[in-house]
Amino acid sequence: MDRKSHPLDGGRRQFLHTASALSILGGATPLALNLAGIGAAAAQSAAEDYRALVCVFLFGGNDQTNTVIPFDAAEFNAYTAARPSIARAAAELTSLGAATAQGGRSFALPNELAPLASLYGAGKLAVVANVGPLIVPTTKAQYQNASVPLPSKLFSHNDQQSVWQSSGAEGATSGWGGRLADLIVAGNANQTFTAISVTGAAVFLSGRSVLQYQVGTGGSVSISGLTGSLFGSATAAQVLRQLVTAQRPTLFEDEYNRITARSIDANATLSSALAAAPAITTPFPSGNSLADQLKMVARTIAARRTLGARRQVFFVSLGGFDTHDFQLRDQPTLHATLAAALSAFYQATAELGVASQVTTFTASDFGRTLTSNGDGSDHGWGSHHFVIGGAVRGGNVYGKFPAISLGTPEDIGSGRLLPSTSVDQYAATLGKWFGVSATDLSTVVPNIANFSTTDLGFLG
Amino acid sequence: MKTEETQARPPLTDSAPPPPSTDSAPPLPAAAVLALLAAATLAACGGGGGAATAAPPSPAPAPPPAPSVTAPDAARFLAQASFGATDSSIDEVLARGYSGWIDDQFARPQTMHRTYVEQAIAAGDPAAAERTYRDHVMDTFWKQAITGADQLRQRMAFALSQIFVVSQANADVSNRPRGLASYLDMLGAHAFGNFRSLLESVSLHPIMGLYLSALRNQKEDAATGRVPDENYAREVMQLFAIGLYQLNPDATPKLDGGGTTIPTYGNADVQGLAKVFTGWSWAGPDKTGTRFFGGTPDPDRDVTPMQAYPQYHSTSAKAFLGTTIPAGTAAEPSLKIALDALFNHPNTAPFFSRQLIQRFVTSNPSPAYVGRVAAAFADNGQGVRGDMKAVIRAMLLDAEARSKASPEQPGWGKLREPVVRLASWARAFAAASASGNYMIRNVADPSTALGQNPLRSASVFNFYRPGYVPPNTAMATAGLVAPEFQITGETSVAGYLNFMRNVVNTGVGTGTDVRSAYAMEVALAGNADQLVDRVKLLLTAGRMSDATRTAIRDAVATVAATGDAALLNRAKLAVYLTLASPEFIVQR
Repeated sequence: MDRKSHPLDGGRRQFLHTASALSILGGATPLALNLAGIGAAAAQSAAEDYRALVCVFLFGGNDQTNTVIPFDAAEFNAYTAARPSIARAAAELTSLGAATAQGGRSFALPNELAPLASLYGAGKLAVVANVGPLIVPTTKAQYQNASVPLPSKLFSHNDQQSVWQSSGAEGATSGWGGRLADLIVAGNANQTFTAISVTGAAVFLSGRSVLQYQVGTGGSVSISGLTGSLFGSATAAQVLRQLVTAQRPTLFEDEYNRITARSIDANATLSSALAAAPAITTPFPSGNSLADQLKMVARTIAARRTLGARRQVFFVSLGGFDTHDFQLRDQPTLHATLAAALSAFYQATAELGVASQVTTFTASDFGRTLTSNGDGSDHGWGSHHFVIGGAVRGGNVYGKFPAISLGTPEDIGSGRLLPSTSVDQYAATLGKWFGVSATDLSTVVPNIANFSTTDLGFLG
Repeated sequence: MKTEETQARPPLTDSAPPPPSTDSAPPLPAAAVLALLAAATLAACGGGGGAATAAPPSPAPAPPPAPSVTAPDAARFLAQASFGATDSSIDEVLARGYSGWIDDQFARPQTMHRTYVEQAIAAGDPAAAERTYRDHVMDTFWKQAITGADQLRQRMAFALSQIFVVSQANADVSNRPRGLASYLDMLGAHAFGNFRSLLESVSLHPIMGLYLSALRNQKEDAATGRVPDENYAREVMQLFAIGLYQLNPDATPKLDGGGTTIPTYGNADVQGLAKVFTGWSWAGPDKTGTRFFGGTPDPDRDVTPMQAYPQYHSTSAKAFLGTTIPAGTAAEPSLKIALDALFNHPNTAPFFSRQLIQRFVTSNPSPAYVGRVAAAFADNGQGVRGDMKAVIRAMLLDAEARSKASPEQPGWGKLREPVVRLASWARAFAAASASGNYMIRNVADPSTALGQNPLRSASVFNFYRPGYVPPNTAMATAGLVAPEFQITGETSVAGYLNFMRNVVNTGVGTGTDVRSAYAMEVALAGNADQLVDRVKLLLTAGRMSDATRTAIRDAVATVAATGDAALLNRAKLAVYLTLASPEFIVQR
């Protein structure tokens, strides 16, 4: 075997070295250093010093107006009047009661989200109102006059998915989950299991240096041909291993083999760690793709000690929220799927004794118009989101919940909401809980310095 | 901080791909390779500044005459232009030359997917709902991809299905197998037609109408506050015609004085164009509201273009992209004006041409190459815009596509699509369907199959985006995009290797319906060199490094060539290791 390293490898290592040097120059301090102050208890049991963030991305743009609904009579009537063909009836709603952070205004969730209403009532779930991408705090007049910088390619699915996850339109190469991971990866014994997607590639999880790891709902996949006899040859397995992992002189081939090499290494570690982890007895709903993904997250968390993981970021998703039509048919089904999966996952974290160490939050392309197009709604901007976990100061609605009407200060047309809270603020609040210092926040969410409030208060 | 894999990844070889030199070239110093990469990057991004700077595209040199085409050349061409080379298709290219082969393909008749589905329905249980035949759309897709004589049309229809996306992931689509088959037929019919007609047929097909909710979209109503559905208007601009930002004729972005891209449209354009797509719904013998909303269904409504219902069409002025359709204009003339505007938009030729090249040839075509193909779109030489035959010829016959130097650049080529990998196996080794129906019905799961299923992407944004950049890779550093890497990860690479092992060993599909006997390979299997060289030609167009070839040959030679079972094992091993090799995974 010729073990000469090939020329590109030097380039890659150099790049990674430079990238991490830059991130340190940029003010990022590995969390391992910050954690030094946590003390002996953490050192004794790394597993006790554990935190995870779980991003639940609702692809397509969840209609926020039919997700969190003002429930005082006058506000509810205004809601019904604003979208008569697609409004939910009062009988189809589960009350959350009055939210102190909204001056006592009352809210409700559709009955399909009743499991989330229960978590809200138990203080384990918070609503964050009218969140969306912003570069600076923006007024309606500033938006209309384009007198302040605005997120690029508003209302476009793929771009706003990317902006939500990364602060940049499609083509961005790092997201805030990955940039959080950059800061803490040194504290994990096995760096591969720091930023984990159970739903395919997501820019959210790519750091400036951290690579995301993709796993299936059944766990990692073992390559059968690498062991034993292969088509009658006892030695072909070794040839296969070389073919699929060797360094290659061209970029596409080398990257493909690099992924395969990582896949083989990761599977060796993860498959045994999962097998050794305590079984989860909490029932997860069947026929629920999001629940399948979240169960894999729970199993990975259950294996955290074997994996040497102290901080992890996960990404899961549910698609189908682009309800231009059939909204009253499709969105309730999606909500029921979402709520059943989130509820089971919360219960699983409680079973594992990590409910307060795992915070789950939703994200989506964008909110949607208040106005109906007959039987659906169109692409908007700001939206309402859920944050779930034992560390959440639940049972409240954070941010500024808008009036459900056209012509409000937040309405930029057809009831598209100008966000009153930025994704950067949402991310910063989650990041602070995760352990990121105030000075490091700007490396995670670049526009946070433009906002006076960096902690929205929904995490204790 | 280093997040690299810990396992050492020694190179299998330091020799470049063929043509092999007698003495292995010393490795380039890293600086030299980076300089090469930088040059490639510059080429990829060049000409990006300013609206008026794009030079007219340089004429493509004439393709080499047929006699100079070798079997590996033909196989390489067929990897781009078909679902994979076969003995007979290589012979066809050798006989006709590239251009002659394309002309012959243009003349081949189309086989209709809809006919296949309708025959299955007619032969089936009369009580079975049509939706239960959804898998038959997959059967006919694979049947034609693997066995169709009109390979260029098949490959083109598949490429178009990744631009003008509809998906069985949507129940309204998957429940209408006749409709989806007819949509695929429509793409195939226009594959050699004109882009303007394609755009109109896409816009009026009821399956697209359902998928992007233009079907039964109503005009605005001030009394209730209802506004037109914006879905189709937005995506026809963003994905099907012009894209988000203004392009030069070579598809590089135009930049403003501040160096930023310039949007092609704003939300007001979407709202204006949305009015055009009101009042269209199911075809049928009348235009009643009942029919508009789905009542009294015509039996052929899933396969017949949508019709206009005047009472639901917005007749207010429709303003978009600098075009204003005056108030009072009816649905049909409004649609004509709108589609003409999209067709004639300066972005359309480069936007479409670049994506088409990415599906067939390389992920990062040079701007000059894109410019030449876009020029053929703009004018086929006889003053016709949108001539798809001219676009295809320009794309496949371009010097960059045919040059033997192109694939030597470190960032040239593309990850072979998983669907194409499977079809290439089936074609190369004459796999046949035991049932005759090619029942390859679900290969979507990345853990256990291909991670890509035809006509079943998660959304209208296809399986991957044309601008996808794999983060933290040398490709990203080099400024390259790699769309197919968006569906490539630790799970899918392992799933592919396991899936293909079973495919090679026992076949693929329901009851391993599609199998190869490897007759030609078994006949050669007594000689490991001849066996490996055959597989190398068919799957990698001869572009296999000496080290890979030697490794596979030596592995094959460990299986003693004694008896039929052993010879079959030798054949399968050669095929499987080649399907696993990076030289097959990446088409160059």
